[in-house]
Amino acid sequence: MRIKSLIVALVSAGTVSLAYADITVGVLVSATGPAASLGIPEKNTFALMPTTIAGEKVKYIVLDDASDTTTAVKNTRKLLTEDKVDVVIGSTITPNSLAMVDIAAEAETPMISMAASARIVDPVDAKRRWVFKTPQNDVQMSTAITEHMGNNNVKTVAFIGFSDAYGEGWWQEFSKIAELRKMKMVASERFNRADTSVTGQVLKIMSTNPDAILIAGSGTPAALPQKALKEKGYKGKIYQTHGVANNDFLRVCGKDCEGTLLPAGPVLVAAQLPDSNPVKKSALDYIGKYEKAHGSGSVSTFGAHAWDAGLLLANAVPAALKKGKPGSKEFRAGLRDALEATKNLYAAHGVFNMTPTDHLGLDQRARVMVKIEGGKWVLQK
Amino acid sequence: MKQRLPLMVFLVLLALGPLFLPEFYVTLLNYIGLYSIVALGLVLLTGVGGLTSFGQAAFVGLGAYATGYLTTAHGLSPWIALLVGLGVTAGVALVLGFLTLRLSGHYLPLGTIAWGISLYFLFGNLEFLGGHTGLTGIPVLEFFGLKLNTGREFYYLIWVVLLSFVLATQNLLDSREGRAIRALKGGGLMAESMGVNTARTKTTIFLIAALFACVSGWLYAHLQRFVNPTPFGLHIGIEYLFMAVVGGAAHVWGALVGAGLITILKQWLQDILPKIFGQSGNFEVIFFGIMLILVLQRAREGIWPWLVRLVPVRQGRRTVAEAEALPRREMPAAGTVLLEVKEARKQFGGLVANDNMNLSVKAGEVMALIGPNGAGKSTMFNCISGVDPVTSGEIRFLGERIDTLTSREIARRGMGRTFQHVRLLPTMSVLENVAIGAHLRGSKGVLSASLHLERAEEARLLAEAKRQLERVGLGAHLFDEAGSLPLGQQRVLEIARALSADPCLLLLDEPAAGLRYLEKQALAELLRRLRGEGMGILLVEHDMDFVMGLADRVVVMEFGEKISEGLPEEVQKDPVVLEAYLGGVE
Amino acid sequence: MDLQIALLLGQDGIVNGAIYALLALALVLVFAVTRVIFIPQGEFVAYGALTLAAFQAGKTPGTLWLLLGAGVLVAFIDSIMAVRAGAPGRLKRIALWDLALPAVVAGLVLWLEPGTLPLAAQVVLALAIVVPLGPMVYRLAYQPLAEASVLVLLIVSVAVHLALVGLGLLFFGAEGSRTTPFSEAQFALGTLTVNGQTLWVLGASAVLIIALYQFFGRTLYGKALRATAINRVGARLMGISNTMAGKLSFTLAAGIGAFSGILIAPITTVYYDTGFLVGLKGFVAAIIAGLVSYPLAAAGAILVGLLESFSSFWASAFKEVIVFTLIIPVLVWRSLTSHHVEEEE
Repeated sequence: MRIKSLIVALVSAGTVSLAYADITVGVLVSATGPAASLGIPEKNTFALMPTTIAGEKVKYIVLDDASDTTTAVKNTRKLLTEDKVDVVIGSTITPNSLAMVDIAAEAETPMISMAASARIVDPVDAKRRWVFKTPQNDVQMSTAITEHMGNNNVKTVAFIGFSDAYGEGWWQEFSKIAELRKMKMVASERFNRADTSVTGQVLKIMSTNPDAILIAGSGTPAALPQKALKEKGYKGKIYQTHGVANNDFLRVCGKDCEGTLLPAGPVLVAAQLPDSNPVKKSALDYIGKYEKAHGSGSVSTFGAHAWDAGLLLANAVPAALKKGKPGSKEFRAGLRDALEATKNLYAAHGVFNMTPTDHLGLDQRARVMVKIEGGKWVLQK
Repeated sequence: MKQRLPLMVFLVLLALGPLFLPEFYVTLLNYIGLYSIVALGLVLLTGVGGLTSFGQAAFVGLGAYATGYLTTAHGLSPWIALLVGLGVTAGVALVLGFLTLRLSGHYLPLGTIAWGISLYFLFGNLEFLGGHTGLTGIPVLEFFGLKLNTGREFYYLIWVVLLSFVLATQNLLDSREGRAIRALKGGGLMAESMGVNTARTKTTIFLIAALFACVSGWLYAHLQRFVNPTPFGLHIGIEYLFMAVVGGAAHVWGALVGAGLITILKQWLQDILPKIFGQSGNFEVIFFGIMLILVLQRAREGIWPWLVRLVPVRQGRRTVAEAEALPRREMPAAGTVLLEVKEARKQFGGLVANDNMNLSVKAGEVMALIGPNGAGKSTMFNCISGVDPVTSGEIRFLGERIDTLTSREIARRGMGRTFQHVRLLPTMSVLENVAIGAHLRGSKGVLSASLHLERAEEARLLAEAKRQLERVGLGAHLFDEAGSLPLGQQRVLEIARALSADPCLLLLDEPAAGLRYLEKQALAELLRRLRGEGMGILLVEHDMDFVMGLADRVVVMEFGEKISEGLPEEVQKDPVVLEAYLGGVE
Repeated sequence: MDLQIALLLGQDGIVNGAIYALLALALVLVFAVTRVIFIPQGEFVAYGALTLAAFQAGKTPGTLWLLLGAGVLVAFIDSIMAVRAGAPGRLKRIALWDLALPAVVAGLVLWLEPGTLPLAAQVVLALAIVVPLGPMVYRLAYQPLAEASVLVLLIVSVAVHLALVGLGLLFFGAEGSRTTPFSEAQFALGTLTVNGQTLWVLGASAVLIIALYQFFGRTLYGKALRATAINRVGARLMGISNTMAGKLSFTLAAGIGAFSGILIAPITTVYYDTGFLVGLKGFVAAIIAGLVSYPLAAAGAILVGLLESFSSFWASAFKEVIVFTLIIPVLVWRSLTSHHVEEEE
């Protein structure tokens, strides 16, 4: 058994200790596993981020959590204790982010999540003091959908979502808001990312004859229920969530997705925004950088959440540097304070205005309704 | 003391570890400890017991969710939650065990995959368990007022639990029950014939493995302070099995080596691969898969046996302590009818292997059953000993009908047997193989074995095994691996094993095959002595000199039926017998 | 639920079941011949579908590089073995199968622009890339362990599965793909609408099953495989090499897997990791058949398909719970009814 200890010793010797003057950013994304389609563009985005902020070198350490909470926690601990990072950005999905909250707070290190649920930052308590997030809450997106539904005389709604945290989060928020708006939820179905058929669920939904259907899935898998609905002849309105906002979804869903409505961050339709919109410039900036590296049409809104996290950070660093050197406790506390003080930061997904009780800081400008027309995302005015 | 040195060094390093290791290595060691606890259960279940389970992660989930739910929703103490968790896990394991352990062969792994997936989705879809999103705010463990807040504090709890489980498992395996467990893999039929209730033994190890996993889950929940379904899915269940197999599934320390190696390897790959391939790919899992294949191709038994070989040869236990002899059964008076077979018929589908068979054996006589190859003698043996019951007819043992009893129940009534094709556990020592025979003469259970509270009984069992081995002339081979003996001696070992059950009727299937002349002489002498003690012996044998010199009466079979019966000299002259053996002289 | 819905669900279940049946047959075949529980079967489904999808998207599929790489590796190892064994005669064969064949396939793919070819030609090319991976995987991962216990082989299978899934993510990315259907036709069958691709799936499955049946009953290779399945040692003594039998069964399994993927890609989205659950359900069907009976495997597959389809109607959130829990009683029944004498490995 000495061998094992020896291995441990060798491994620890092999990890070179870091130069402490640099700002170290620990990044955790779900680049493999079920959430890979969200995590990969995020991972790619970190390669585009500035390597110096306010004259300080920035080092990004990107780790994968394989969409698994244990790995997320393990890697967060590694980033905090081994790499002594000044800030943790991650993770891609809600359960992992929730699991990381305690650890980041314990280490008194700010954390910026790229996952959707409001539970990650709300309420801002002793632990969540340290936690911020960039994606719009499911509530904000749900409100946009219900508003649109209300305006279009939708009375009955059916829901079909992923059998995971994404679908669950949407169901909880959406059903609440829909009831408030006097819409009736007539069906709630679940499907798995890897399912090859959703005929059962679709038939069940159609037997309730809803005015509209919301499909809560992310990436290409969300196309399956929609195609099945069209095939079975569903004529009502179909809504998707912002989770589908990448070009792969359009490629797979094809003509079956014509006319589909979804809420999304403005980055999705940045070019169509009026020039007066303050988000347009920052969103186009990101798109330009990403597509230069990964080809035209490759951009997704998920990568933009990572980009926004980077912007928040870059915005907060100068103030934090006044408090202490990178690597110090003071710097991390300063960074937290500066993040909380973020005001009018134009990012790819909207305008951030943080307060001590709001660690998301996005407002109505962070979401637009988008329609799929002619295989393109078209901004709805 | 020298053999203990590596262990001592390891323990000291473990104890001092958190004092000098960087924080993250303590974290890693915590996870290694948690995984090892689960893998240890798998060593017992899969490596030793031969039952493959992909579903252990689900039991970890039960432990984690029990405490997660009870402490957050009902504010119960984690310690009460642990008890509830163990109770729930035991209940679920018993039900699943009842359903799936009777699954034979490859059905079992699939069964475990099935409920592994079921439980995973159940966790995710039950709202009160936090759904797929998970439960937050699980409280910190308190231990006599001491809050286990940090990884370093938790470390000691995890490793104390793990090491005591290792010790208990080691103790268990080195006991009467342990021998029964070790006999499950490849020796189930033999063990049943020695009186081991294999179904119960299987359930026991299944339960132990599940409870280990549950404890690991409880620790996990309080270390992580967050629970959601992903750590309890099938993929993780597979990973636990990986750990056990890579480490060395047949060895308790293999669990630790496997868990350690895989955890560190994953961590290391995650650091090193991006440096080689750049940031763009996800190469860990590919490398991981390929590495595993290579490990299995190079070291099929896992890493632990290979590690052990690096350390100088360790001395096994070399003495058997003297102990008070076990109580013996009342022997029936010589001449009492022990066994009576009436009109026995055995049919395999359309093939009639035995028909119209009648024979009897009395106390204090040697009855020989002879006949050409394929005459149905071994089938008859299996019918009598309950290994493969008769289709119709009646078999009585000591006046009681036994043709509906299992081999285990028949063994309990005092019938011992050997097998035509030797059935022993080749990697176990000669002594332990024989001690299995004495299984029914001990009574101490799993718990006292784990705590080694049954040492007095164990000493008596081993002393009995030794006595029987010396009696059959294998006294010099007590600690050799049974598989290393020549075939003839393995047969003699089986006799010793049957004898250590203290039977009044002994069924010997070709005991002299493969023995040299002098050894045969010695065996004949032994059988005569046993007969003198009042034992009844039913013997199948091809060596006619041996049979005729020993038997009191002879039954001759051909084509599944009795063709002749009588004293040896009568039978030898019977024209029907001559015809059967020599073929008709036209 | 009315009759209309029940019919639709039944249709859906049977189509899914047909795919599970194909996979189940391949799993039974591989297990019977090599004792390998072939979990990576699912990856061949994904590779087949995604390779074809890559053609249609005008991309060069990453599986092509895998084929070339694996070919070189196999050739390298086998050449060393051949030279050591003093049998340089084998080198020509090695060069032909492991180097020349992949090179020709690569040449065709790079030169022809498969996206512009007719669908049938694309399918053939996709199969030409994916199917040879089957025997190569056997050679690299399993052949050195041919005599190991079922458990060790099972663990190797899981390891191969992990490696292939990782490669799949690398080659095809996390997002799924669909391919153009073999047929856009729609038929009205009473109140039911059946589309052409559905008929293709059912028809192709039936044809393949019958073809396999003929293969095992009539051809020399088929008989050799059966002989190996019944008695490995005996077959070897009769001059049927276990290695040959292993490679052949893996070739067939890879072929069936890849073709199944190509069949379903037009009706569902296929991802790099689609294969695992699909394969697992095929596996369930195979187990229902006791891993020995082909017709029972097909029936079991239909059962699994129907169970899945109906439970996704009744309680979609608990679909997997229902499917996998109901399997347990079936397994118990199988285990009790199959006469079983103790396995001695």
